[in-house]
Amino acid sequence: MSSRFHLFDRTAVMGSGYILAMVNRMQMLYYVLILPKHLVHPYMMAGILGVGFLSQINLSILSKYLTSNYFVLGYHGFVQLFSEKMVRFFAFLGIFFILMKVIVTTLGYVEIVHQFMFPSMKTNWLIFVLIASGFYIASQGMEKTIRLSIIGFLATIWVILVYIPYFMPPIAKTHHLYPLVPGEGLLHSWYGLLMVWSALSGPEYLVCLGPWIGPKEKILRGMSIGNALSVFEYLVLFAACILYYGSPYLEKISFPVVNMIRYLQSPVFERVDIILISLNMIYFLYFIALFLLCLYGAIRIAAGRININTNRKGFLVCVIAVFIGMLVINGWYWREGQELNVWMTLQLWLGAITYLLVPSVLAIAMKWKRGQSR
Amino acid sequence: MFFKKKKTAAIEQKNEEKNMVPSEAVKLDLLKQATAKIDDAEIVQRQTNNGATFSLVYIQTLIDKERLNEAIIQPLLQSEDQAFIQCISTCSVLRIHSMEEAKECMLFGAVLIHDQGNNEWWAAKLENPLSRAIENSETETIVYGPKDSFTERIEQNVFMIRRRLPVIELKVEKFQVGSNTKTQVQMLYMDGIANPDIVEIARKNISKVNFDMILESSNLSAFMDDHTHSLFPQFMQTDRPDSCAYSLGLGKIVILLNDTPFALIAPITFFHLFQSPEDYVHRWVIASFLRTLRYLSFFIAITLIPLYVALNTFHYQMIPLQILYVLMESRTKLPFTPFWEALIMLVIIEIIKEASLRMPTKTSQTIGIIGGIVIGQAAVEAGFASKVLIVLVGISAIASFLVPNYLVTKATTVLQFLFLILASFLGILGIALGLILLLAHLNGLSSLKQPFFAPVSPLYWRDWNDLFVRAPLPWAKLRPEYLKTVKKWRVSKEEGNE
Repeated sequence: MSSRFHLFDRTAVMGSGYILAMVNRMQMLYYVLILPKHLVHPYMMAGILGVGFLSQINLSILSKYLTSNYFVLGYHGFVQLFSEKMVRFFAFLGIFFILMKVIVTTLGYVEIVHQFMFPSMKTNWLIFVLIASGFYIASQGMEKTIRLSIIGFLATIWVILVYIPYFMPPIAKTHHLYPLVPGEGLLHSWYGLLMVWSALSGPEYLVCLGPWIGPKEKILRGMSIGNALSVFEYLVLFAACILYYGSPYLEKISFPVVNMIRYLQSPVFERVDIILISLNMIYFLYFIALFLLCLYGAIRIAAGRININTNRKGFLVCVIAVFIGMLVINGWYWREGQELNVWMTLQLWLGAITYLLVPSVLAIAMKWKRGQSR
Repeated sequence: MFFKKKKTAAIEQKNEEKNMVPSEAVKLDLLKQATAKIDDAEIVQRQTNNGATFSLVYIQTLIDKERLNEAIIQPLLQSEDQAFIQCISTCSVLRIHSMEEAKECMLFGAVLIHDQGNNEWWAAKLENPLSRAIENSETETIVYGPKDSFTERIEQNVFMIRRRLPVIELKVEKFQVGSNTKTQVQMLYMDGIANPDIVEIARKNISKVNFDMILESSNLSAFMDDHTHSLFPQFMQTDRPDSCAYSLGLGKIVILLNDTPFALIAPITFFHLFQSPEDYVHRWVIASFLRTLRYLSFFIAITLIPLYVALNTFHYQMIPLQILYVLMESRTKLPFTPFWEALIMLVIIEIIKEASLRMPTKTSQTIGIIGGIVIGQAAVEAGFASKVLIVLVGISAIASFLVPNYLVTKATTVLQFLFLILASFLGILGIALGLILLLAHLNGLSSLKQPFFAPVSPLYWRDWNDLFVRAPLPWAKLRPEYLKTVKKWRVSKEEGNE
């Protein structure tokens, strides 16, 4: 058995199936669980569709970079496009964005577990378990971590079927989903739309996975199917919430998507939500692992140590730093019981900004570079 | 660091010197010295009809004594010729020049013949053919299909495979492993089908084995595994020639060792460990059902008892009321927590399982009855375990035996304990965590550098026709994608399709 610790080796290229799985699960990561509460009105389904369409346009822009030769070169592609200094600067900025995404997502999941499964357990233990498991997965390397996306996808995609019974409640009628077209209120619900946009963010981090995904011609197809699937799932979950709770009650309930499942009964188990929350851990762990690797990569680039071999100790230090960061935020600054606390709101904005800017900046930079070379 | 380098250099120099020293010529005295204290070694001196003297040196337990007389002694005694060695015609004779050669030949069952007149040494192969007959496979029994299984003789095993694959593309490469055992290894593959890169990896891995004792195939696989610390075997062990032939036809590699009836097959995936030769005998619907049942059994074996612990410790609210009554009633007088109760019962069942395996058949049946009925019944009556747990332990023990691969059955046991610990700390979340980490672990494994969790990850949709469902054989026109075979089609319209 080899004792080398190469995190960023590549032996194969992952096809459109992986891209689909990653895009879809990234977009279903956390905000979808609290989203219906902030959308409330049935006409926001049109909002979801609209934002989904914008997201598709954004992915098309992003695909311009993902299908370019710069992307295949990974880090060196970025250096060609910008300069080494700029890349190190962007990597430095990226550390903050990735760190926030990992911390907020993990703490969000921990809060759900705490609230629904183990109300008396100290959340620090859960954080430790998640980070340690994420570290184990990530230490197998980027390629194997990306490969896990398909397992996560197959293990959880069917969960949407569990919500079918909510479309047939005895007291709800189809007209509860009206009005489908907003009168004048859509613009007033800008915050909900922002949330949808932010919830759909995540695919922009594919730019970090240059050497591992391809081939070029299948990237946009994979992303588009993944995005369409996410929008479909958002619509299903939102419609199910409206039919089950009704708009007036929906805005009062926390984690509506999770809470609904509590009322589902099966002949063998009650409280199916406990099983589903546990099952969802697979893609939370997957993303923790993926973002830990991205974070380690970003730190290496920012520190100018890209040509030095990866080592177990360095990666472990990075993971411990993230863990300590999480403990600090969880211990002193996290306001449990309030889904959109200051960190969640911050991540909401950061997610929206990165999803908007990363594809555009890359597209502009490529255009500028092309203009320069002419 | 400096000393290490110096030491390495010294060893290299010594090796070079060793290689440069001309090998010692064969001498009777030296052979006498070498065979001192080997009581089954014999040195015999005789004269031919024309008065030429010859000596025979051999180890009597290694050779066929009847043939020695018929094929060597009698022809030599009656020889009139000066070059009397030519009268040996019924066995292969080799000229030998060095003591090393002489010792090696003697230890592999040859008779050394010394022509004293010409001072020449010869080795005649007279290996003792002692071997058991070809019998039914005991580890992979099937109702329909071929019954023969491998024996300890490698030539016989290769013959059984060659008989099934009478094509010139079936290649056999020979190796020797184990500095003391000098075990003969033969690697078989189908040229023009198997991926040359995989063949090369296997070749390198076998050549790299550096150990004194390689007595059987799992010894060899321990040196060839990509992941030594994993619970899961990365080589399939089988004693069925038909399984080997089928695997070769798919583009896999088969490794045979002398003196062991178990062949190694690689590269394999996790899902191959759940496949039985009988899958291809049954109707496809039945085969698919049985295969799915095996996956389900594996899942039940590792999670059922942990689930009991999780539900009883953390998640009472998940149990429907009617079942909860039964559970509460059976646990009311127990002195242990669910975790300790389950742990004790699992340890006991493992002791019973091991004991019944190691005992003679008749005794093991008694142990099974005592273990299963007496201890189970007594444990409930004594108030050490609940009735529900006894039922669950029984189900989970039987479920673990549905996996056709014995090594996986053993891995299941260890996994069950790990899951039990996770369940006792984190309930259902712990079981889910265990399953996720198990999936991540399987996703990270490889067999001869090929992904172990294919065709799920990496995703090869085409190979799903032989994964959970065993599609009808006429549909399996293509070889598994993950093997990256040279020839992809199994049907003869190859040229038209590729």
